[in-house]
Amino acid sequence: MSTCPRCQSTEDKIRAEHKGLNAQGELVWTIFHCNACEFTWRDSEPASTIDYNKREAFFRVDPEKPYPVIMPPAQYK
Amino acid sequence: MSTDKKPLSATARAVGERIGSLRDFLEFLEENGQCITWTDEIMPEPDVRNIAVAAGRDSMNGPAVIFNNIAGYPGKKLVLGVHGSFTNLALLLGHPKGTTIKELFYDIISRWGDDKPLLDFIEPEAAPVNENRITDNFNLYDLLPLYRINEYDGGFYIGKANVVSRDPRDPDNFGKQNVGIYRIQVQAPGEFTLLSIPAHDMGRHIMAAEQENVPLKISVMLGNHPAMCMFAATPVGYEESEFAYASQMMGSPLRLTKSGNGMDILADSEMIIEAELMNGVRTLEGPFGEFPGSYSGVRKIPRFKVTAISHRNDPIFENIYIGRGWTEHDTLIGLNTSAPIYAQLKKDFPEVVAVNALYQHGLTGVISVKNRFAGFAKSVAMRALGTPHGTMYLKNLIMVDDDVDPFDLNEVMWALSTRTRADDTIVIPNMPLIPIDPAAEVAGKGHRLIIDATSFMPPDKLGSDSKIVTPPAGSEIDEIAKVIQLLQNGGQS
Ligand SMILES: [Zn+2]
Repeated sequence: MSTCPRCQSTEDKIRAEHKGLNAQGELVWTIFHCNACEFTWRDSEPASTIDYNKREAFFRVDPEKPYPVIMPPAQYK
Repeated sequence: MSTDKKPLSATARAVGERIGSLRDFLEFLEENGQCITWTDEIMPEPDVRNIAVAAGRDSMNGPAVIFNNIAGYPGKKLVLGVHGSFTNLALLLGHPKGTTIKELFYDIISRWGDDKPLLDFIEPEAAPVNENRITDNFNLYDLLPLYRINEYDGGFYIGKANVVSRDPRDPDNFGKQNVGIYRIQVQAPGEFTLLSIPAHDMGRHIMAAEQENVPLKISVMLGNHPAMCMFAATPVGYEESEFAYASQMMGSPLRLTKSGNGMDILADSEMIIEAELMNGVRTLEGPFGEFPGSYSGVRKIPRFKVTAISHRNDPIFENIYIGRGWTEHDTLIGLNTSAPIYAQLKKDFPEVVAVNALYQHGLTGVISVKNRFAGFAKSVAMRALGTPHGTMYLKNLIMVDDDVDPFDLNEVMWALSTRTRADDTIVIPNMPLIPIDPAAEVAGKGHRLIIDATSFMPPDKLGSDSKIVTPPAGSEIDEIAKVIQLLQNGGQS
């Protein structure tokens, strides 16, 4: 998985989180997480969820955009 | 709140004594044909979602579904739909299949209260939830068969966790300890975000901890006693204990113990995730398909790190399908949303007969009331809009007479057809409303609609002198209906 399905961040922003194995110990799928937009996905999911071009454009996330903050903290980090 | 208390039936007491945990309840549901196991191999996405939606279509009789063969999660168990139908709730309260929603409503009302809690405290070493303890290298992706609930959710959600937190300024106060359901998005193997708002008890605890720069520790209870979930989803007073309410509803003790980080927790839950607020940190979260059937957007919200995990042997991960209704969310919280509104109205207006706030957490409600005088139902409607829940949720309100069962939509539609005058509806513009109403022009504001479908009486103009047919009704007919159902099912109830 070279780019994030939601924000198109490239490889350096993406962590492989966990590998799902079957009872025989063979790889079934891998879970990834994007450090830029915090999207989590599994590489076995339908293309409508994990293919940037097939996802509804409404659900794209621009990590640079100032999204609303719930309960702004007393000391913001 | 405490109303018309009746002693529990022998059956209800026996069921209360038998069910001490999620496992006990699943076994009981299975014996009664209300829990199935999906043994074919499935993919986490989209199969779990598809099966959950299909099982949830029957809001009266849908079963809980256990999954034990999810690809990539060998040996792991997931259960959905535990509160997915009114029959499952009926069984929990010691009633047979075929119990009506209205009967359940009155039963929950009669059990409501926290003045006689039944809580047993046991040592942590004796608690089944402590059979296994993990203190480092946490990996939620491995411990739980996680999956994406709706296709555009921002990640993998835990939607049915009962989260325990204490007021960080008053950590020894049992009453101010809160148990609530807050959506949790797993953000890393050992970290998650948790959504609360300042008005919720948990939000108050988060803000207090950050303002005073003291740690906020929480215990996330997964796979819980079915009564616990119902009250974790119920807004009770800030100083009232959800544990007390849940035990009193069951009429049987709940077993509590202490978590490793000092919270009171259920001793028989499947898993406890102990965690600590990452003070001042906010992380992108969402979207998440919410109970109105729409996605709530992307926000920056508080983040927690896991500090320890306890779990039973072979833990069962209990989760919920939530999205466009009808879903388990509606059954889980519907009656517990209706009951407090009823009690609050009943104090001032004894003519109120029943409150149905089942739809989308009360975005639409139906109230049955005996008109004291012409126009009286509208006054009751105004009072309902001013109740704590009504203030933010009751968007559409249908008022019906006392001869209409507000839980029976055929009867409600009859009242609308025969007793409504289109020029006698009320719209109150620009009122406060929960921000996630998808119809809102401005999030957080909305208009209220009151439809008075009660009968007119003098001094109203009455028009024609048509008279309503009085079909046979009452307990005798209810009993006959049950006999017919029995005959239809070949003697099986
Ligand atoms: Zn991304």
